[in-house]
Amino acid sequence: MMVKTDTRIEEQIREIFSSDAPWVTIVWDDPINLMTYVTYVLMELFGYPKAKAQALMMKVHTEGKAVVSTGSREEMEHDVARLHEYGLWATLQRGDQAI
Amino acid sequence: MKSEGFKRHGSNSYVAEFAENEREILINLTEQIIELLAERADHGQEDPLAAMVGITSHDSPPEDEVLHRLLPNAYQDQADSAEFRRYTESTLRSKKQAHAMAMRMYLKSAEDGTVDLEHDSANAWLGAINDMRLALGVRLNVQERTQDELELLAPDDPMRGVYVVYGWLGWLQEGLIEALMDEN
Repeated sequence: MMVKTDTRIEEQIREIFSSDAPWVTIVWDDPINLMTYVTYVLMELFGYPKAKAQALMMKVHTEGKAVVSTGSREEMEHDVARLHEYGLWATLQRGDQAI
Repeated sequence: MKSEGFKRHGSNSYVAEFAENEREILINLTEQIIELLAERADHGQEDPLAAMVGITSHDSPPEDEVLHRLLPNAYQDQADSAEFRRYTESTLRSKKQAHAMAMRMYLKSAEDGTVDLEHDSANAWLGAINDMRLALGVRLNVQERTQDELELLAPDDPMRGVYVVYGWLGWLQEGLIEALMDEN
């Protein structure tokens, strides 16, 4: 049987089978969210120790953004959804894509 | 504003006392957040089966700036973002509403003004307070205005009161986080 697939589906199938292209979750700087709050949310959601969460928060604050987690596309979608639930400004993208 | 904010009591108890006017302001804010998020719902226009499994007809970001900040894009790419939104936005809306509803319930039942939270309810409060700060912050245009400009808002400026509440919510949130992070 011939199965007709569009390019998007083909692309998604390729993604599933390519294990070497991790995705990343990025948190962006935001003038409203408190620094302590961003630190606390990173500790709660990812189980990061306080020092690591604080370092990531400072990177967001000083550089405008930071990669806070890495994994499969599905895992990163889950992370972004949880960060949005707590009001952090987060997006996901391919790890090899320019941020 | 009279409350001294949240203090840790024992291993899993975070207590604050609120004056009646503070309690009223907070209840009012929880209700506004719940309503605002409900405005984004599809009001019966969506496929009920799709709605049941959390799929909405929304795939474009909200036009309202505040709603857009509460329900942001997950991808910088518009097409990916639209697809993600279609499958996840209603869940995100419900979770944010649940935070605000939990906070409202605690406040409503605190007739003497005393609120006693444990870890999970404290997290719901933090999320709800943050959504309030995001909503007020967007309306105050915190992105564009400096702290000094906001401090110098005239007493008769309608934004003055909003700024006072915005600052107070930040102080309340910070105190609760400190209590939660206090290891002792």
